[in-house]
Amino acid sequence: MDFEPKILGIACNWCTYTGADLAGTTRLKYPQNVRTVRVMCSSRINPSFIIRAFQLGADGVLVGGCHPGDCHYGTGNLYARRKLAITKKILEFAGMDQKRFRVEWISASEGNKYAEIVEEFTRDLKALGPQNTFRIEKDSRERI
Amino acid sequence: MIGSKGSLNADHCEKEKVVFKKITLEKLGDLVSALKEKGPLYAPVRDGKAVNFQKITKTADVTLDFYNTVFSPKFVFFPQTEDLIRYTLQKEGAQAEPVPIAASPSVILGVRPCDAKSFEIMDRHFLGAGIIDPYWKNRRDNTVVIGYAFDPAAPPDPADFYNTVGIHAADTEGSDVFMVRKDGELLLKGITKKGESLLKGLAVLDAASAQDEAFFDETIRKDRGVKTRFTEITDTAIAAKLVGSFEKQEIWEEMTASCIGCGTCTFVCPTCYCFDINDETLFRKGARKRFWDACMFTDFTLEASGHNPRPRIFQRYRQKVCHKYSYHVTKYGCISCVGCGRCTRSCPVNIDIFSIVEKVANL
Amino acid sequence: MTNIKQIEENLKREAKRLLESKEVSVVLAYARGYDEHHPLPYAARTAGEVGNLIFNEYCTYNLARYLTKYPPKTKIAIAVKAADSRAVVQLIQEEKVKKEDLVILGIPFIGMKDPKTGEEIDQKTTCHMANPVLYDILLGEEIRDAGAGSPYDVLAELEAMDQAARWSFWEKEFSKCIRCFACRKACPMCYCDPCFMDASRPRWADKSPTADGNLMYHLTRFYHLAGRCIDCGECSRACPMDIPLHLFHKKMAKECETMFGQAAGMKIDDKPVMVNYGNQDSDEMLK
Repeated sequence: MDFEPKILGIACNWCTYTGADLAGTTRLKYPQNVRTVRVMCSSRINPSFIIRAFQLGADGVLVGGCHPGDCHYGTGNLYARRKLAITKKILEFAGMDQKRFRVEWISASEGNKYAEIVEEFTRDLKALGPQNTFRIEKDSRERI
Repeated sequence: MIGSKGSLNADHCEKEKVVFKKITLEKLGDLVSALKEKGPLYAPVRDGKAVNFQKITKTADVTLDFYNTVFSPKFVFFPQTEDLIRYTLQKEGAQAEPVPIAASPSVILGVRPCDAKSFEIMDRHFLGAGIIDPYWKNRRDNTVVIGYAFDPAAPPDPADFYNTVGIHAADTEGSDVFMVRKDGELLLKGITKKGESLLKGLAVLDAASAQDEAFFDETIRKDRGVKTRFTEITDTAIAAKLVGSFEKQEIWEEMTASCIGCGTCTFVCPTCYCFDINDETLFRKGARKRFWDACMFTDFTLEASGHNPRPRIFQRYRQKVCHKYSYHVTKYGCISCVGCGRCTRSCPVNIDIFSIVEKVANL
Repeated sequence: MTNIKQIEENLKREAKRLLESKEVSVVLAYARGYDEHHPLPYAARTAGEVGNLIFNEYCTYNLARYLTKYPPKTKIAIAVKAADSRAVVQLIQEEKVKKEDLVILGIPFIGMKDPKTGEEIDQKTTCHMANPVLYDILLGEEIRDAGAGSPYDVLAELEAMDQAARWSFWEKEFSKCIRCFACRKACPMCYCDPCFMDASRPRWADKSPTADGNLMYHLTRFYHLAGRCIDCGECSRACPMDIPLHLFHKKMAKECETMFGQAAGMKIDDKPVMVNYGNQDSDEMLK
């Protein structure tokens, strides 16, 4: 069977989540690999969520927020951009392939962009194969 | 003072029965291999700057060129984490299996006299408190401790103070076999039945001569002259002093002002035995684990209500000192400290338990 | 560079003056530990206690760690070396202490030594500055030449590794962690109470030192310190397992400087980079 990557999607309530909804209601076809969690704002995302997702076996993490300047709360995503940029650097320096972590600005009207990005990300992750860097072995949690 | 010490004369009387062997240092590898065949072997290994006891996989890793290890060898009997029960969560309840307590016969090689003594102190708690800890007991019963005298020619580390608690640089107490280094040779003497039978079963060892025996006894005598930091304390007197000083908050605050509240001192300590038990589950599978805890942590005494009886660092440090030098004396009849100096050496800010005890003793 | 004995005398003189004039109620400096190679962070509260103060090349500890322990409005004099002064500045930026409550006694010095190993502490483990960035009184002459080299030179080897090699490096290092929390406790910027690691709901990591919990602890801590770490190297010196935590912190500091154009703890008017955003920020940083 082909490898189907598991992607954790974390989407802001106002833009990306609504955009994903739009992709659905306009019947766009895109891979089913994303499991989405809705948060009120991309700046609510704690980098530990992303680390934990990789530990629990996510092959990729996709964070979606409003376009900079369009944040529902004014500046949330401007803070988020810095936070997520540092998160990306941390993952990279720890030895995680940084292609597995993606941040995209997708507005409520960009259903097609959402579908395209999921399509593209899924394809990239398929090429990368399963993520085994941070993944915790299910049966052995002993100290190394 | 801790316990009583066998006098040198008593050793001489039993000379006929003594199992006394030797091996050249070049053949240390052979000795290590032979010990490893008998079961897991724990011995000092250099890793970067530090030397620590490790389970030996490669014979060549073992080193006997060290002063003392950063961590105490207590983990051989009391590992930092161990699974007590493993379980799988079901729709209702869980399927759980206790982890069998199976310890294979093992050997710890190169234990310094103060550390060998620490095992006996820990025995009082794990075996003598009315409840026998089966994990500790099983490993203790199955393990042979090969003690290793400090070099009488080398000065003791400035942090050490084992003399204060009545231990000397070549005390054989607590060891099953005691080892002394003689130039290019190691002299090994059986101290207990367990140690003697181990020595008898090691074909790689040569018989030691009368000269070697004289050297062995001489080293022990010389090591009595190795002077670490010392202050005159008796267990009951210091226990009472500490109880008396308990309320003197200012003194305790001053003495512990630089403490940052990490757990390093308790983790490196050979006689700290506090642990926590916690269920750790992932993907519906998990284990009930026991792992080291430290009285220096804020959440050590944190109650479910949110109340914390020891919220401040001086209270926690006072607890540590009182536990070792007062409560342990009252409860088990000895001081729970062997003066190995590890806590002082590893402290990120150089807090020194000896100075604190000395100060309290002279209050 | 001013003679170290002279610095000690200056420190004693100023401490005595400040305590006698009641300008401050406590002077944070160093006293003799169990021997002269192992000094102890020390809080002198009276002029009489000033005699206990010392300063030598083993006084590495970053005393800014103790600032947040005092109740607000306590008047404190604190002895700082270059990196320590940056920690004080960072704490002022974060409104943990107020400048007007502090008298900063700056110590310009190169050549501190690790009390545990006796090795000299250089740019490999610290920010490689010689003069405090902020002080009220300088206890020695300003040092003109801090020596060549960048504090980030030491990262070259890790940066050149491929991802798999880097992961195996950190995986091995983190697996050594015994969760004594010395790194967090020695850190002047780790003042959270409770720390996320002590929280039970949510439980971010298992209480026992499992490999995954260790990874969660350290990566999250690197994140929490990003843009705030002033590169004093205390975490690595405090670690009984010799985990080179400072390397990761250095890398994050370097990235923050590159991306946001601001180093931690340099000016009291700066806003910490992670609670700020700038017009020059672009999506390039997410690439």
